[in-house]
Amino acid sequence: MPARTVAVASASGLHARPAKLFVQEAARLGVPVRIRVGDGKAVPANSMLGVLSLGAVHGTEVTLESDAPDAEEALDALAGLLSRDLDAEEALDA
Amino acid sequence: MRDDLLDPRGVLLHESAGSREEAIRRCGRALVDVGAVAEPYIEAMLERERSISTYVGEGVAIPHGTAASKEDVKRDAICVVRFPDGVDWDGDQVTVCVGIAAKNDGHVPLLAALAEILLDPDRARTLREATEVHQVTKELTS
Repeated sequence: MPARTVAVASASGLHARPAKLFVQEAARLGVPVRIRVGDGKAVPANSMLGVLSLGAVHGTEVTLESDAPDAEEALDALAGLLSRDLDAEEALDA
Repeated sequence: MRDDLLDPRGVLLHESAGSREEAIRRCGRALVDVGAVAEPYIEAMLERERSISTYVGEGVAIPHGTAASKEDVKRDAICVVRFPDGVDWDGDQVTVCVGIAAKNDGHVPLLAALAEILLDPDRARTLREATEVHQVTKELTS
């Protein structure tokens, strides 16, 4: 199955605002993608509660996977989002 | 799980709020009252909420401050404030607010535990309908 493993770059980890932005993007893409930490339980990337339950902090390696027809593009987009420090971008917005 | 994050005095089960802003102020006040944050943190919680909703699903929102407001956090803590009559949260109905004060990652395991609870419909209902402080502390810290 197509997959990407990436370290969470946001300073505050994958919860709060970065998690919300990630979940919103996953929902917008409309491609079923699952996310997990190591060999842990995979949860839907578009579920806020699922993503929060991962407990991923800054530097945690997470794996995104999808066997949807258009998986590659969606995986690249979501992996790209995780590899950016979304907290720093907020500081620039302000 | 760290059990020093949730002070029983930060569990308020019979509150009411006429608006999302009022509900967030109540959560912020609870965090001030347990000595977790300084007063300005409350405004930062409102600012965070305006930039992105902290609603997570299952009738629960997790208001918290902005990255810049970490200097107003004295120690990591959460509070649980229940609004039995519900609060309109930008179109969603919120019954429980879990207010968060965090300097770094100390609260993340607790947040993950909260999410696990909310993913289980029975446990989510227990939390939403809790009338005793010990029900909440038991669910969140056991």
